[in-house]
Amino acid sequence: MNLAQLRSERRSRFWGKEVLPYLGYVIQSGVAVLLLFLLIAFSAWYTSLVQHIPAGLPIRWIMLILLVPLTVNSSFRTYLQPADTVFLLPQESRMNHYFNASWISGVVYKLLGLALLFLISWPLYVRSDEAPKSCGLFLVVLMALKLVSSYGCWKELRMVSRRAAMSYRILRYVIIALAVGAWLWQPVGRSLIFIVLIAVTYFVALRVPAKHLVAWERLIAQEKTHSGRVLMMLGWFVNVPGRQQRIYARKWLSWAGNRIPWKPGAAYRYLLMKSFVRSDILGIVLRAGILGALLVWWTRGGMLGSGIYLFFVFLAGVQLSSLLRYHSESFWLHVYPIPPGSRRTNAIGLAFQIQLLFAFLIWLPLLGAIGEKPGAVLITLAGGIVLSLLFRFFAGRKKTADDDDE
Amino acid sequence: MNGNTVLEIQGLSGGYSLNRPVLHNISFQVKPGEMVGLIGLNGAGKSTTMKHILGLMNPQKGEIRVQGKKREEDSEAYHGSLAFVPESPLLYEEMTVREHLEFTARAYGVARTDYEERANRLAQIFRMQDKMDSLSTHLSKGMRQKVMIMCAFVARPSLYIIDEPFLGLDPLGIRSLLDFMVELKEGGTSILLSSHILSTIENYCDRFIVLHQGSVIAQGTLQDIAAQAGTSGAGLEEMFYTLVQGRD
Repeated sequence: MNLAQLRSERRSRFWGKEVLPYLGYVIQSGVAVLLLFLLIAFSAWYTSLVQHIPAGLPIRWIMLILLVPLTVNSSFRTYLQPADTVFLLPQESRMNHYFNASWISGVVYKLLGLALLFLISWPLYVRSDEAPKSCGLFLVVLMALKLVSSYGCWKELRMVSRRAAMSYRILRYVIIALAVGAWLWQPVGRSLIFIVLIAVTYFVALRVPAKHLVAWERLIAQEKTHSGRVLMMLGWFVNVPGRQQRIYARKWLSWAGNRIPWKPGAAYRYLLMKSFVRSDILGIVLRAGILGALLVWWTRGGMLGSGIYLFFVFLAGVQLSSLLRYHSESFWLHVYPIPPGSRRTNAIGLAFQIQLLFAFLIWLPLLGAIGEKPGAVLITLAGGIVLSLLFRFFAGRKKTADDDDE
Repeated sequence: MNGNTVLEIQGLSGGYSLNRPVLHNISFQVKPGEMVGLIGLNGAGKSTTMKHILGLMNPQKGEIRVQGKKREEDSEAYHGSLAFVPESPLLYEEMTVREHLEFTARAYGVARTDYEERANRLAQIFRMQDKMDSLSTHLSKGMRQKVMIMCAFVARPSLYIIDEPFLGLDPLGIRSLLDFMVELKEGGTSILLSSHILSTIENYCDRFIVLHQGSVIAQGTLQDIAAQAGTSGAGLEEMFYTLVQGRD
């Protein structure tokens, strides 16, 4: 069996048959144009910022916050399927032929992304820092740290103990953050010695935990998550067939949805609420909310603050629109006596309420500027509410192929 | 149409393709308080018949009535009159066992107090008390099948469609299921049950429908089937073997 070819075929099938057919619609969709517009607006703002850098800009902290997540972030597409635990298991000792390409593509594309971010941030860094490092050396250090992180991530995937894998993941985050921090704040020689020492120690530590030859179940679960995320992103632009995404237990949220009215017309809302609180979408919306609130607080009192606020409300709306496509192929929704039309109404209503709550919560930091500009602060909130209403309006008009009302 | 019939199938032909129907002119009835066994070889058309009853496939010919209503006439009342237990568990990975039961109860309009009483009893009968707050992904296949059965039983429609319910169940689970079905039947509920374990259902079903290559080749009580098969004193397995033997 040619394992490298098998992976290559699976990769082509996923991107060629499951993703490529939708790209045309993505380009045509209004959301894509809006994102392009936002990109142009960001470029204009960034150019202006680079030309007029404010005094005392905490550039080293900004670089740390920008670069650490992308340097740490590592993942691998394996295209493994549940049936592989039966059919590929006999090939376990040869699976490195299969995984070689996963490793290479998992590292190369992320290196390119990191390099792009670095090059974009470089003009700001070189003009703000008192003692900037050389561009080439900075890039080489980042690439090396990225390789260390990717290697560590691959080893974590093979660890037998889940607890050990989680601990090593935290260790990897700490090591990369310390290494980037040392590089930004310390002189070249001293920081390089520190980075080499910490990397060697990390490599030695990685040898300790027991590992599977191939961690089949974990890799299959990861693959499911990754492919689900790609389709979820496509889902922001076009209707794609739903695919199960990663589930988070989130026991602290198990109460959510329990107070939804006890009647068949609201049964779907109950299901959707349970799905939402254990989905990827909640995590994304929460992270966007925290980041948005921080940025809104930082830029409060100006037009930029209002713009950032509206951008994050828009972002939440795009994410929450995924709720409209949830359970589009659910068997039980065809069998259970759920009133016709209630699915769509419930989904739109729930997405609207969550977006409205989001709009209110990330508006709260603007209250810090209400003494100076009460009108602007209140108009910004009104803008957030109008944006949420617009999302609701367009969701109501949009026809989906699996619309249960039809 | 017979007014005293929970499920009535008349002249049903259907399948995935118009040119190649899987079911050929099928007719049978299920009356209140009856447990009817639908038996046949793999590919005989049992699951396809059930899909037509559930409204997942549309008949090419013939009609299906549940409690005297066709699905097109009143979809909500039609679906509210039946519950289904599939051959393989189909659960929402993001919901716990308790939440599955609650979702079903909400969808079927079961009163909250009835739901709580039924859910507790079912958890006890199927030995799932300590799993009620577990996500379905953390359950074994047998437990997942128990959740499917519990969901169907938390609603109390007049008709149950049950497809191969014993797969994956432990012996105690099978016994609990059979006992519960008998209890429902005695309360006037109708059950259409498909299974390959003929020696088990032989003792529980009132009537049998034998499907072969998409057609009903025999139906009736055990005595009726024996007469049609030309075997007397034999068990259902032997009768079934005689009926399908040499028909390929």
